[in-house]
Amino acid sequence: MTAIEVDRLSHIYAGAEGGVPALEDISMTVEAGKFVVIVGPSGCGKTSLLMMLAGLRHQSTGTILCDGRPITDPDPSRVGVVFQEASLFPWLTALDNTEFPLALRGTPRDERRRRAEDMLNLVGLQGFGARFPHELSGGMKQRVSIARGLVQDPPVLLMDEPFAALDEQTRMTMGHELLRIWSKTRKTVVFITHSLTEAVYLADEVLVMSARPGRIVDRIAIDLPRPRTYEMMATDTFGKLRERIWQQIRKPEGTLS
Amino acid sequence: MTQTQIIAARLALLAAILAAWALLPKYGVLDPRLLPPLGDVLAMLGKQLARSQVQEAIGVTALEVVVAFVIAVPIGAAIGVAAAEFEYFGQIFKPMLFYVFSVPKSIFLPMFILIFGIGFPQKVAYAAFSTVFIVIMSATAAVESVKADHVLVARSCGATKAQILWRIYVPSMMPVLLETLRISMIFNFTGVMIAEMYASRTGIGHLIANWGENFQMPELFAGVIMLSVVAICFNEAVRLLEVRVSKWRT
Ligand SMILES: Nc1ncnc2c1ncn2[C@@H]1O[C@H](COP(=O)(O)OP(=O)(O)OP(=O)(O)O)[C@@H](O)[C@H]1O
Ligand SMILES: [Mg+2]
Repeated sequence: MTAIEVDRLSHIYAGAEGGVPALEDISMTVEAGKFVVIVGPSGCGKTSLLMMLAGLRHQSTGTILCDGRPITDPDPSRVGVVFQEASLFPWLTALDNTEFPLALRGTPRDERRRRAEDMLNLVGLQGFGARFPHELSGGMKQRVSIARGLVQDPPVLLMDEPFAALDEQTRMTMGHELLRIWSKTRKTVVFITHSLTEAVYLADEVLVMSARPGRIVDRIAIDLPRPRTYEMMATDTFGKLRERIWQQIRKPEGTLS
Repeated sequence: MTQTQIIAARLALLAAILAAWALLPKYGVLDPRLLPPLGDVLAMLGKQLARSQVQEAIGVTALEVVVAFVIAVPIGAAIGVAAAEFEYFGQIFKPMLFYVFSVPKSIFLPMFILIFGIGFPQKVAYAAFSTVFIVIMSATAAVESVKADHVLVARSCGATKAQILWRIYVPSMMPVLLETLRISMIFNFTGVMIAEMYASRTGIGHLIANWGENFQMPELFAGVIMLSVVAICFNEAVRLLEVRVSKWRT
């Protein structure tokens, strides 16, 4: 089954001289339950693409289908989003942050609580519900963000460099944690990162984008067995996959493979 | 220092000032004609508060302060929010607002007297005028303190415009808004006092100006204490609220 289908999507940001072309002719299909990672040079339009997948911004042309229906506006029951950092509301506790999407929909209080607590348990934060964001570590904050993204049980989870602000050790742990959560929930995940190691470690498939205007220049299937282990990072296969992605990214602008 | 020690030191400072005020004039270290001892002033305060003329003046001043505040705050907040939210409106009006904000408002007082005559409307209009700019500035700052990221997250969670306003704007802005309320009350109170002291037939400011001119120092200081207590109480009440809603800001 197809979870996400992007068809000939292009985007031009309004601006001087006809605007800034940010995305060009993006087509991609993500099968349900897959973990897809998008990498590409800074400014190539990864965040823009994710915003469009989330219905937070409208593309200039092209269509996005999620669960067979077009995405035009944010729909948290189909797509959950986790942003880079500091996206928790500092005036709400971890539990209230997690509940937020449900509160917007007017879900009864008891059910809201129950589901938010389940989510906090899932991300390994049982007992931390009453803490405010400033009382949590960076990794814990991102766990809450993930809980919030999952609380409506959407089939798709979009993540824009969710661990970029974390230190390397926490980042590795969080990647591992994310895989655990993913294997439990079987969501379709689209994950953006600058870390090639993270990309190979997490992904079923890595999409490589070119520099501006962003296009998809390569799709690399990561056929490492699951569950992934830290030891795999030291293997030849891992290194080769990483190398291949790197070769694609460092290609000068405009050359297509 | 621990919290208790700090509080103890603060109380000691207050006690020292009051003791100095009570004792120094009494023993002639300070001229009691210029600074009557605290005891005399407090006795005078009690006496004045019992006079119907003073009570009436308090009523007038209180009404002026409240009415001016109720006019200035919503108008200033509306303009300030508009200046922050609507780009063109902001770009056009902001510089002008900043210019006028920098001018001392008291120089416009004679104009208010010419327009409104001497009385209640003139006091209220002048106080509201001298308050509205600080409200505009602070309201703009309050809106700008709302993080775009938070709005984006709320949208991704499916929030409507109204929900974004209520669940993101209001809590983000609340600490700054309360601060605004507190500071604009200072401006507002000052506005009423200046207007009353400059030209008036009634009100506490008028009484204080009179007492000063007639060298009635105990009365003058009684007035000062009265106003100070009211101003400090309002300020602290709002500040307590502020601390409560800004817990998350650390
Ligand atoms: N709101 C906007 N208006 C105009 N141009 C924009 C806007 N947002 C992004 N851009 C431009 O579009 C291009 C793609 O930006 P985007 O943020 O999607 O890149 P990115 O791949 O996420 O970059 P990074 O890896 O640094 O996060 C950039 O050149 C950026 O300057
Ligand atoms: Mg980005």
